[in-house]
Amino acid sequence: MGNSILRTEKLCKSFSNGGVQQHVIKNLDMEIREGDFTVIMGSSGSGKSTLLYALSGMDKPSMGKVIFDGTEIQDLSNDELAVFRRGNCGFVFQSIYLLENQTVLDNVLTGALIVQKNSPELVNKAKELLKKVGLNEEVWNKYPSQLSGGEAQRVGIVRAIINDPKILFADEPTGQLNSASSRDVLDIFTDIHKNGQSIVMVTHDLKTALRGTRVLYLRDGGVVGDYRMPNFCEDDIKERRNNLTSFLEDMGW
Amino acid sequence: MGKILRLSLFNLRKNKKEAAAIVFLTLVSTMMLGIFAINLSKVSNAFDESFAKSGSVDTFISFSENDYRDSYREILEEDYGFEDVRRGNMINGFSTGVLHDGEKIAYNLAFITESENQKIDDGNIIESMTEEQIEALDHWVILPSFFKYNLRYEIGDEFIPVVSGRQYPFTVAGFYNTGLSNESGMLFKIIISNEDYRLLTPVFQEYVFLAFNSDDDFNYRDYFTSCMDESGDSFEGYGFTKEEEKANETKFLNLFLYMSITLSLITFVASIFMVRNKIRSDIEDQMERIGVLEALGYKGKEISLSYVFEYVISSGIGGVIGGIIALAATPFMNNIISVMLGREVVSSAKVYMVLPVVIGVIGLILIFALTKAAMVKKFPPVVAFRRGIRTHNFKRNVLPLEKTGKNINRRLGFKDSIRNIRTGAGVGLCIFLAGTTLLFCMYTFVMFFNGSDGLVKLMGMEISDDVMTINEGVDPYALSEELQEMPEVRMTRVTDTSLSFRVDGQKEGTVFSYEEFTDMEYIVPMEGRYPEHDNEVMISLRRSRTYDLEVGDTIVIDNQGVKTSYIITGIVGAMSNNQMNLYMTLDGFQRANGSAVPNCVEIYLEDGVNREEFEDKLISIYGQSVDTAMSGDNADGTLEERIQAEASEKIAVLMSTYGVTSVDYAVRVGDQLITGNSRQFVMKELQSYHDLVKSQLDPISNITRLFTGAGAIAVGVIVAVILGIIASSNVKKRRKDLGIMKSLGYSSKDLMTQIAISIMPVTVVAVILASAASIIINKVFWFQIFGADIKTSIPVLILTDLALIAFTFVMTYIGAGKIRKISVNELMTE
Ligand SMILES: Nc1ncnc2c1ncn2[C@@H]1O[C@H](COP(=O)(O)OP(=O)(O)OP(=O)(O)O)[C@@H](O)[C@H]1O
Ligand SMILES: [Mg+2]
Repeated sequence: MGNSILRTEKLCKSFSNGGVQQHVIKNLDMEIREGDFTVIMGSSGSGKSTLLYALSGMDKPSMGKVIFDGTEIQDLSNDELAVFRRGNCGFVFQSIYLLENQTVLDNVLTGALIVQKNSPELVNKAKELLKKVGLNEEVWNKYPSQLSGGEAQRVGIVRAIINDPKILFADEPTGQLNSASSRDVLDIFTDIHKNGQSIVMVTHDLKTALRGTRVLYLRDGGVVGDYRMPNFCEDDIKERRNNLTSFLEDMGW
Repeated sequence: MGKILRLSLFNLRKNKKEAAAIVFLTLVSTMMLGIFAINLSKVSNAFDESFAKSGSVDTFISFSENDYRDSYREILEEDYGFEDVRRGNMINGFSTGVLHDGEKIAYNLAFITESENQKIDDGNIIESMTEEQIEALDHWVILPSFFKYNLRYEIGDEFIPVVSGRQYPFTVAGFYNTGLSNESGMLFKIIISNEDYRLLTPVFQEYVFLAFNSDDDFNYRDYFTSCMDESGDSFEGYGFTKEEEKANETKFLNLFLYMSITLSLITFVASIFMVRNKIRSDIEDQMERIGVLEALGYKGKEISLSYVFEYVISSGIGGVIGGIIALAATPFMNNIISVMLGREVVSSAKVYMVLPVVIGVIGLILIFALTKAAMVKKFPPVVAFRRGIRTHNFKRNVLPLEKTGKNINRRLGFKDSIRNIRTGAGVGLCIFLAGTTLLFCMYTFVMFFNGSDGLVKLMGMEISDDVMTINEGVDPYALSEELQEMPEVRMTRVTDTSLSFRVDGQKEGTVFSYEEFTDMEYIVPMEGRYPEHDNEVMISLRRSRTYDLEVGDTIVIDNQGVKTSYIITGIVGAMSNNQMNLYMTLDGFQRANGSAVPNCVEIYLEDGVNREEFEDKLISIYGQSVDTAMSGDNADGTLEERIQAEASEKIAVLMSTYGVTSVDYAVRVGDQLITGNSRQFVMKELQSYHDLVKSQLDPISNITRLFTGAGAIAVGVIVAVILGIIASSNVKKRRKDLGIMKSLGYSSKDLMTQIAISIMPVTVVAVILASAASIIINKVFWFQIFGADIKTSIPVLILTDLALIAFTFVMTYIGAGKIRKISVNELMTE
């Protein structure tokens, strides 16, 4: 087990909906460890996304602390948070969110250049990564609307990891993809995890969850289940599935 | 209909700020256009009404007493066929200093008695003391209305002409409405009592005037020529006509109104463009919502109508409020017109006058909204749903990030500016128009910053500190040298009274002549050189342009039938007189006018010399009036004073009766030697054009400064509002992209910088074009108005350009502040 790189203390997040306070996360204490592929599960509306965004400094908690690699990020201003996210956090979204008017390569570089100085090495790295996820040269100068969903999400992943973030966050990255594309994308996640990337991913989907090494189950604003698995491997997939399913069933999934 | 209206009201509520901006822009343009449209006609009417009320004849002509011949009047009655030509007398003091509130300002004054004034106008009193109060005064004046409305004199104020150091104190007893001579450039006709008239007659020169109603064709310059032909004498006469009076009084006011209208049109164009741009981007932006609405069963037409309503409602509110303000501004504008004309203005504004403007503004916006909103109809719901009409250029990727230099924000900003080239062009147009106006305002403001000094430089005549006109027979060169020796004097120059010469086939022009043109401070050729020989002439820029004359060409001067030709050596910008000035050497002047003898010395003082004190000194040495000395009122004083006065009286008689020019005397009384000479009679008049020019130009420069300053601020506000809208609608349109960028670690500041940078290329281009345009406009404008050549101040240009670019950057940056409100977690809730 790796070192703890992200920790929350009494994390609370509430929204006021039409004047009514809705407490989505309540006094949540948890910890993310380096090298883990952490999967966050829970029923719809249980606050998975909310938690993910609080963990990653995309949004501020209402109360409590988020300690990211020693930095308490809950007190940072919005602009400080933005600077903090650079290099520390990578994101992959369900809706992919590429910049529509930038080419594939420029989408990746837009993510990179705010963190690093431009250099031939950087551009090469971007190209290498694109190649690695199966996007060849002819795609690099296309615009997002000319890509398939799977291709687009692969660009999204490359954009998220180009800065070698401490943690790669993903919110249902395969939610909009068909099963073949999903599989490709998940393979990429598995692959980069094996290379040592820490990942925190929110998902509904059992197949996706199977890729993780740890599953946190969220209910009533707190973590109610914490389940560990060995690294993903196609060979013992059946057993892996059975174990996870029984964990989830215990959780009332 | 109801539901369309509900839809547009919903939109309006949602975009309160932008709706407010459109209300503001339409309000400002309607207001400005309205105000100036109403008042343009009013200026002319106000003058006509005031003139009619004064009961004035439309022309009077004046000759100095000695020049007048009765035959001149007959020419008017017989040759011209004018009826009821009334002859009268007045006294004129040109460039006479007047003390008021401790300040001395020079005016051209005419004094006239009440009964003589009746020959010119009714002398209608606007405001005055009671009969008893007036009777209690030693010396009273009734001033023309200009003093009340423009110069802010009040009843009971002192009015003290100062002639040759002597003060003639009067009390202001009232103001009257004069038709002619109510303008500082011409003459102020002042009513005084019969006793005071007699007292002032020896002080000034008496003139004969002829007052009558002329016709449109009448030209008093031609008339003077006929008079001179008739009698064979040459003289300088003055003419005052209603047309000239009106042109002089309204010239600047009209100028400002036209400038204001231009400024309002620019605002208007910019506003219209803004609205157009906003409608388009709104529709593009809301394609998905449009899709939903269409899916809900709204027809494309209904949706587009809802947009049209939205803009017509906001521009309608702006237009109507603007119109109301324009009407409400009537008293204020009346006041300005009243001050500028120096006349009472009482006309009220009627609603029908602003109505066309209000309707025009709203109508134009309606048309744009209709054409733009028609776009909606082109998209079936599916297109609207799916990515809307996001314009993708699948063309070449301009400025790929691969080649990014040091600064990613700059790169992304530039990329953005190329992508939004259409909006950019519009912004560019706005900035171009605003920039041109701003630059012009700044040049003018700076030029007038130190009061009228800027204008004085354009006069095309030497404005020395003092001009001494000498009595006949005095040697001007000897006097010039004598004056030059005084410690206060920096420079002296001999010249002649500036006469007007007729030029063959051209307008006549005032001649400025000097022995040689060296060390000139105000007359500086913009082309060619000064005249050196007696067959050379330098002409004004206006003359050169009007008659297409260049250096090397020839003009022919016609002095009472004697024709003399001159070669043009140079061209000078000149706004003085009729902008048709001529410049020649004294020899050259004498070639055309054999009888001319130089009779003026221009005196330039050293820095720091008190002019008033110096003038007193000159008067005490040179300034005794022959007329006063001859009348010999020397009963008191010491023996010496009495002897000197007696001697002066004798000398004065010698000079005026026998043409003696120089006398020295010595009288021994006991062992006292009393000496004297005729020097004390050297000076005929001492004038300071400096003061006169200032009194004429100061009001103009003040209002110009005020106006251009206000104009620059107005342009700034409008630019700020427009940029604010552009930036904020840009943010709205790119909300999602900006959210994504934030998730990648771009801070709000980064993104605001990008948006500000994205309009920089177009701003810089627009500012460069505006600079070029402003230089041309500055040149053309000042030539048209003053016949002068203005060199645009390059430092002002550069500073203004830089300021405008910085301002644009900052305003866009601030306008993009909405970015701060975009939170990344909006992305997850989609
Ligand atoms: N910005 C917001 N404003 C108000 N309420 C919000 C906001 N974001 C989330 N919520 C509420 O918080 C609760 C949790 O939302 P969240 O998106 O975290 O759920 P989730 O677990 O990700 O659900 P899903 O599996 O459907 O994505 C929901 O009830 C949602 O309505
Ligand atoms: Mg979610």
